[in-house]
Amino acid sequence: MLDWLKNINKEHPEFWKNYVSKFDKKSSRYVVLSTETSGLNTDKDFILSIGSFAVIDSSIIIGDSFEAVLLQYKFFHDNGLSNEFLVESKMKKLGEPDAIKAFIDFIGNSTLVGHHIDFDVEMINAALERLDCGRLKNEALDIDVMHRKLNDINDKQFSLDELCTAYNIPKNDRNSAAEDAYKTALLFLKLKSRLGIK
Amino acid sequence: MNTIAEHIADFLKEYPPFNHLTFVELSIIATSIRVVNLEKHKILFQVNDLLHDSFYVVASGVINLSVIADAEETLLNKCNEGDIFGLRPFFAKNNYMMTAKAREESIVYAIPIATFRPFVANNAEVLNFLLESFAVNTRNPKDKENLIGKLISDNVFYSDQQSEMQYFQTLSYNTSPLKTNSSAIVQEVAQLMTEALKNNIVVCDNNIPLGIITDADMRSKVATGRFPLTASVAKIMSSPVITVLENVSLAEAQLLMLKYNVTHLCVTQDGTDKSIVKGIISEHDLILAQANNPGVLIKEIKRCQSSKELKQIRERLTDLIQTSISKNIPLSHVFNIASEINLAIIKRSVELSILDLGSPPARFAWLSIGSQGRKEQLLLTDQDSILIFEDVSADKYREVKDYFLKLGKRTTATLEKIGYELCPNGHMGSNMLWCKSLTDWIKQYDSWMNTPGENSNDLSSIFFDYEITFGEQKIEDAIGNVVFKNAKNNTLFFDFLGNDALRKNSPLTFFKKFNVEEEGVNKDKFDIKTRALMPLIDGARLFALYFDIRGINNTFQRFKQLSITDPKHAEIYLNCAEAFLTLSKFRISEGLKNDNSGQFINLEELSKIDREKLKNALAPMRELEELIKGKFQLTQFS
Repeated sequence: MLDWLKNINKEHPEFWKNYVSKFDKKSSRYVVLSTETSGLNTDKDFILSIGSFAVIDSSIIIGDSFEAVLLQYKFFHDNGLSNEFLVESKMKKLGEPDAIKAFIDFIGNSTLVGHHIDFDVEMINAALERLDCGRLKNEALDIDVMHRKLNDINDKQFSLDELCTAYNIPKNDRNSAAEDAYKTALLFLKLKSRLGIK
Repeated sequence: MNTIAEHIADFLKEYPPFNHLTFVELSIIATSIRVVNLEKHKILFQVNDLLHDSFYVVASGVINLSVIADAEETLLNKCNEGDIFGLRPFFAKNNYMMTAKAREESIVYAIPIATFRPFVANNAEVLNFLLESFAVNTRNPKDKENLIGKLISDNVFYSDQQSEMQYFQTLSYNTSPLKTNSSAIVQEVAQLMTEALKNNIVVCDNNIPLGIITDADMRSKVATGRFPLTASVAKIMSSPVITVLENVSLAEAQLLMLKYNVTHLCVTQDGTDKSIVKGIISEHDLILAQANNPGVLIKEIKRCQSSKELKQIRERLTDLIQTSISKNIPLSHVFNIASEINLAIIKRSVELSILDLGSPPARFAWLSIGSQGRKEQLLLTDQDSILIFEDVSADKYREVKDYFLKLGKRTTATLEKIGYELCPNGHMGSNMLWCKSLTDWIKQYDSWMNTPGENSNDLSSIFFDYEITFGEQKIEDAIGNVVFKNAKNNTLFFDFLGNDALRKNSPLTFFKKFNVEEEGVNKDKFDIKTRALMPLIDGARLFALYFDIRGINNTFQRFKQLSITDPKHAEIYLNCAEAFLTLSKFRISEGLKNDNSGQFINLEELSKIDREKLKNALAPMRELEELIKGKFQLTQFS
């Protein structure tokens, strides 16, 4: 509640100032994102990987993407887990501070889109707090909410898999943040045109 | 590192032409891809759209490629998963020639041309595949054989009207075929064919066809040694011959050849093999006939270098019109096609003048007015045109006007050589009065429309049927705006036009007899132009201006549109539309018969049925007259 008081005299890092300054203008770019986390507790759990794509003019720009695996050494060490699968992955590996910094640069002032996006946003906010930054300022859209709005359903939540089935998006066995982000992006395009969002 | 780009590359490598590229190359391509979702029935691009900077691969769903002609959609192709389409930007600069529409919700990958081009240049197989895909000629969209290997054409040469016309054309063929009798010797006959450079000879008995010998018979029966060179032709001829009547159409000839699996048809007097040989139709004649279609004519016009060449093409157009009329092709189609060709001829004439005179000192528009402006010029009627050039500073005015007058003179002279008579009233771009700057033209229209009747004896209603032939579209739009702005609530103007429309003498006498010319060279003939067609044309124009119908200049279409805009009187309008076509047809057949403008119909030559038909077509005019009288208060000028 009094977060803003806590932060009022704090000097933010350079990339954060830069990010905040981007909000002078409105953006027509959407960034669809998905994160993999170690669990569902925003206080104790960490982001393990991020996948995201930009959507401009109703098309997914494959080249305009961000993917990273976060090396959470401390977390794995503290919990006595093996980080072998992370080390083996061919993906770009970054420490949390570098990854979050790069990701913030990538999203800029775009509208964020995701499946149950509030959780992703909270996870990122937690990571930002560790870097002495404020909270994300972007607007956010949730495809589950969009789907429920389209069909006038209030009493039920839908998983990403259920949505993919409903909109005929082929599922495959590969599961990663990027894969989820891509599926979410396709769902977003379909929902967007059905709801008539520009 | 981009996981999804790799997945896309994985997908692409299954399909040509991407299977010729390495995975690394595909990954680079995939990184630049845009993924587009298309709702059901969403149009990705359509005919005449500007080219996109990408071509497309179907990732899922089905995309239909189609052409729309005459409000009818013709499906050219269906693209399924992995098919490429929209290749036009690779090879051509002009706009899309087909429409791509999602038949179901689909996802397509848009691959930027700029990214893909280097891979095409460095890889002959990819280039070949693209070229083949682009060049597949789907003249017959149902021809699935062309689509083997997922080739999808982008270069459609297809138009419903054209193919229809072409199939009902009559054929020209060899009317003096080689003949021989059945006792001739193979070697002599072969010698005869070689000398005459013919691949066939008819074996006759007193000019009655017994059989035919073609190169194929020589090859299969003589060259193989089955028959000696000294055998009689009766032994090797194909018999009986397939015979047809004289005026066989292209379509029929093609059908017969397919049906009997032959390459030659024999034309006989009564169409049976018991009458005299008149000629031989070979496959080659069919190919030639196909070359004589409107599309080809327009292409040739664009290449013409002199009025002489243009004149020849105009003569071929007359043939085309004549055959179409006799084969009952709907007149509205014929109007469309003929006007396109006329337009191309006039355009080329202006171009030729510019080539002679050097480039124009200002932008301008050459508008066809009158019948060509209405797209109703089938016969060689007189030419009407105006020239509008953009405003220039006062000191340049003289010079500019001089140039355009010269341009006008030269163009009208060229058109005269082609066969379009000069307008007797001088309504042409070569006339001082009708070749002026945009401001002057706007003033002219203003004065015509706001003070009709005063100092405007030169007002002719044909100035309100205009169609741009050459130059700046904007200039035509400017004039259009002035006309429709002035027409709004302008009772005086409609009063004038209405009276003008009604002033023509009625076509029938009190006793329902035709009102024929009483004196002059055309005595006892019926003036179909002034008495029957003009009132309909004037009426259509009057109502089109009144109801603010823009962009439709054709009388037939004007009536059709009016029946939609003013549904209360739809029946009258539709009757008028039909009557207009019937009357036009009378005029055209008369004109074609006498090689003139067909203005005067010789009633004596008409059959009784035709006379009744003509009379019936005059009936809707009365209703139209009543409608005009009811709608506009015609007091001022009557």
